[in-house]
Amino acid sequence: MTLQYDNVSYTYSGGTAGVFDVSLEIGRGELLAIIGASGSGKSTLLKLLAGFVKPDRGRILIDGHDVGHLAPEARRLGVVFQNYALFPHMRLWENVAYPLKVRGISRDERRSRAVEMLGRVGMHSRADDLPAALSGGQQQRVALARALVFEPQGLLLDEPLSALDAGLRMEMRDEILRVQRQSGIATLLVTHDQEEALSIADKVVMMRDGRLVQIGTPRDLYETPADASVAAFVGQSNLWPGEVSGDGMVSTDIGTLSCDTAGWAPGAKVTVLVRPERVEPITGGVDTAKPGEFAGTMAADRYLGPVRRLDLAVAGGFIRLETHLREPLTGASIPPGAIRLLPPT
Amino acid sequence: MSPRASSSTLVGFATPGAIVFGLFFLLPVGAVLGGAFADGGSAFRRLAADPVFWNGLRGTLVLGTVAPLFSVIVGVAVALALLRLAPGLRTAALIAISLPLTFSGLIVAYGFILLLGRAGFVTLLLAELGFDPAVTGAFIFSPLGLGLAYSYYLVPRVVLIVLPAMGNFDRNQLLAARSLGAGGLRALIEVMLPQIMPSLVAAFCLTSAVAVGAYGTALALVGTQVNILPLFLYSKISETGTDLPAASATSLVLVAICAMVVAIGEAFRRSRG
Repeated sequence: MTLQYDNVSYTYSGGTAGVFDVSLEIGRGELLAIIGASGSGKSTLLKLLAGFVKPDRGRILIDGHDVGHLAPEARRLGVVFQNYALFPHMRLWENVAYPLKVRGISRDERRSRAVEMLGRVGMHSRADDLPAALSGGQQQRVALARALVFEPQGLLLDEPLSALDAGLRMEMRDEILRVQRQSGIATLLVTHDQEEALSIADKVVMMRDGRLVQIGTPRDLYETPADASVAAFVGQSNLWPGEVSGDGMVSTDIGTLSCDTAGWAPGAKVTVLVRPERVEPITGGVDTAKPGEFAGTMAADRYLGPVRRLDLAVAGGFIRLETHLREPLTGASIPPGAIRLLPPT
Repeated sequence: MSPRASSSTLVGFATPGAIVFGLFFLLPVGAVLGGAFADGGSAFRRLAADPVFWNGLRGTLVLGTVAPLFSVIVGVAVALALLRLAPGLRTAALIAISLPLTFSGLIVAYGFILLLGRAGFVTLLLAELGFDPAVTGAFIFSPLGLGLAYSYYLVPRVVLIVLPAMGNFDRNQLLAARSLGAGGLRALIEVMLPQIMPSLVAAFCLTSAVAVGAYGTALALVGTQVNILPLFLYSKISETGTDLPAASATSLVLVAICAMVVAIGEAFRRSRG
């Protein structure tokens, strides 16, 4: 089954927020993550697909069929909510069996299928407990089981891990991926956590102000962001305004850098992107006459365990870099291959 | 661990409540109890032998069930509508809805007579449309009309009781149920209703107790045409046919009905707790 948005627009009543001209396809077995800041429209996209709101324009397609006019119950999509939305008055197996109950399946069969599904997420031993007796991670597993037990046409995950602590989030991330791969189901993941999106999605969509800014693999978004906003949202970055000063040269506030300027005319305004892990630390003498080499002092030093994230104060600004080195730095070097030119902001 | 209050502090805090409880509950109930048995308990025998009492009991039980039930249904619908409003508008609407609680039963009755009585505004309006004012104007003076008038001040009580429970309900559960295949009504019945049921039962019990004991509205609207226990009691203390022991015995029956309704509600709450 494929899930598809075809030129979909929706505006919230009494406002200008919404989503605009969105076209997007999630293939069979594919996990597509939508990222973006609060209010970017990513949750609205999920609501449109789930049928919780109806599009003003465009079509919502499931396996090629327009379902834009169908109520949520007729779309056969499993939804996992940020707060899990388990039914507190039902036991775990009854929660998981609820979609089977509304489909008229006998009590014995639905209990058996619900317990089997709970087993797939490692919760079969708690089948007769109430949701209140579970931790957040356990509730999340049950919500996932409930969303998958009726073999839906697609799985929609709305910030499923944001209520969990960091350790459990990583564990659940792997769990969701395992179950999703096992089910081979088209999945839409809405998250504000870019690390979560990059680590489990086949494709990532970046949204801003209700519009798609970039669609690509996690690698595409990180390595070749469409603009400075994507670069800033996905991972850490150095972004400097600059101008192409000649063939292979770009001038910035911190100095002139040597890089590939193909496609940019001399004099063109650009944003210079350098990922911190691509900056090379210097602990000894610094040759500032060399393009891309800067002397500086450490303005901030963040210990992150395996690496340190440093802000190096240089003439004209700061260079952020990440290094395994433990000793003080005297400067940094930005190799030409580490530089990517983006449109000016 | 929080420090324990001293005994004298506890007594100090409890005393005003104990005085109010003694003066306004124990003393009157004691007096009524004494009055009911003043003639050796024969008042109860007279009540048991009086068909008007049994009709009044039946009328009270019907009114004490139907009016609260209707009020709970309307109150839940109103609360659902209120929850869809913006917070500021909701507060304003809640104030307007709560206004009937400040009126006495007599004022409510006269308000309904002015609106729906034989020369009432709505009755005359309906007469313009061809409805017989003798029929439409008589509605408010019937048992059904009395139930409607009761609901006027029972509905706000229901709204005030059920609104917090419904407001705290996680509406994502309804969306989850819809996405899992349940229709809108089914999701409400199977997912929301069980969770707000304790507050619905509490609202029913409270409004039932109010309806069973209401007196002013009934007297003003229907006089003694509709037989309910409060009006039967009134007839036992009116100038003609005064029978104070029977009135006290009737009072005890009313207290017993109210206590029973509240006890049933409490038992339900505990069974769910």
